Amino acid sequence: MAVEALKLIRGGEEEGRKLIEEAKESVAKIIKDAEEEVKKLKEKARVDEKNLAVQISDKYAKEGGEEEKAIMKDAEAEAEKLKTTAGSNLDSTVNVVLEKILGLV
Amino acid sequence: MGAKEIVDKIKDEANAECEKILSEAKENAERISKEAREEIELQKKKFIEAEERKGVEEEERIVRAARLNARKVRWDAEEEMIGKALDEAMDRIKEVKRGGFKGNSYSNILTGLIKDAAMSIIAGSSASSELEVMLSEGDADASFVTPDMLKKISAEISAGGVNVRLSLSNERIKSAGGIIVRGKDGKIEVNNTFEQRMARFSTSLREEIVKNLFTK
Repeated sequence: MAVEALKLIRGGEEEGRKLIEEAKESVAKIIKDAEEEVKKLKEKARVDEKNLAVQISDKYAKEGGEEEKAIMKDAEAEAEKLKTTAGSNLDSTVNVVLEKILGLV
Repeated sequence: MGAKEIVDKIKDEANAECEKILSEAKENAERISKEAREEIELQKKKFIEAEERKGVEEEERIVRAARLNARKVRWDAEEEMIGKALDEAMDRIKEVKRGGFKGNSYSNILTGLIKDAAMSIIAGSSASSELEVMLSEGDADASFVTPDMLKKISAEISAGGVNVRLSLSNERIKSAGGIIVRGKDGKIEVNNTFEQRMARFSTSLREEIVKNLFTK
């Protein structure tokens, strides 16, 4: 009777040990899964960063390009105005130059 | 306590221990995941800030370069028109030779330039000076300056106290017009050709040109 009881207890103990052993194995898997998830998140973040970098760079390059176009358009218009003004003043300016080089002033 | 109760107790304890172990593991896994997400978010925030800064700098660089280019476009336009005014002036010299300028004949203009050059040479000197006048081939052929004119100029200058004798040189200069006066000994020379005068007065001429050309 006592032997049977002891067998039963040992069996229980063995089962308990197994349960704990299985639980420990599950722990390793849970942690490994979590680490795997972190690894994936980091990889995704790296890909996202590359895309973000392109998006941000494009955005500012576009803004800069638009500003550049406007500046150059203004400059071209201003240069044309300068030429028009100079064209209408050319004759009188040539007279000023001639007065100087001919020694009349 | 019977054996069955002992076994049940052992199993209960094992189950409790299992639950504890698994619960702790799950907590750990959640902590690892949470910390990683927080770290990734922070990293992403920093990354965006850095990229934004780089973007702003790039935009500023583009705008700075554009402003520089714009200045060059305006400067090129100004230079083009200044050059045009100078070229036009040199071209108009041919007309001046034919019809004079502002009531002055070309001969009168050359007379003025000869006087100016001669006065510069004798400035500060009390000794008499023998000076010769060099002309361009075209001006010499057209007799814009004659020995009689030089005599008259010499007399006018000499009336100031220093005896001056101007004569025409046989040497010709390569120039669109104007004169060179030099001492007979060749030591002193005043170059009053139009090209030289243009170069000599370039700074003040440019200012005058800009003032006149671009004023509405």
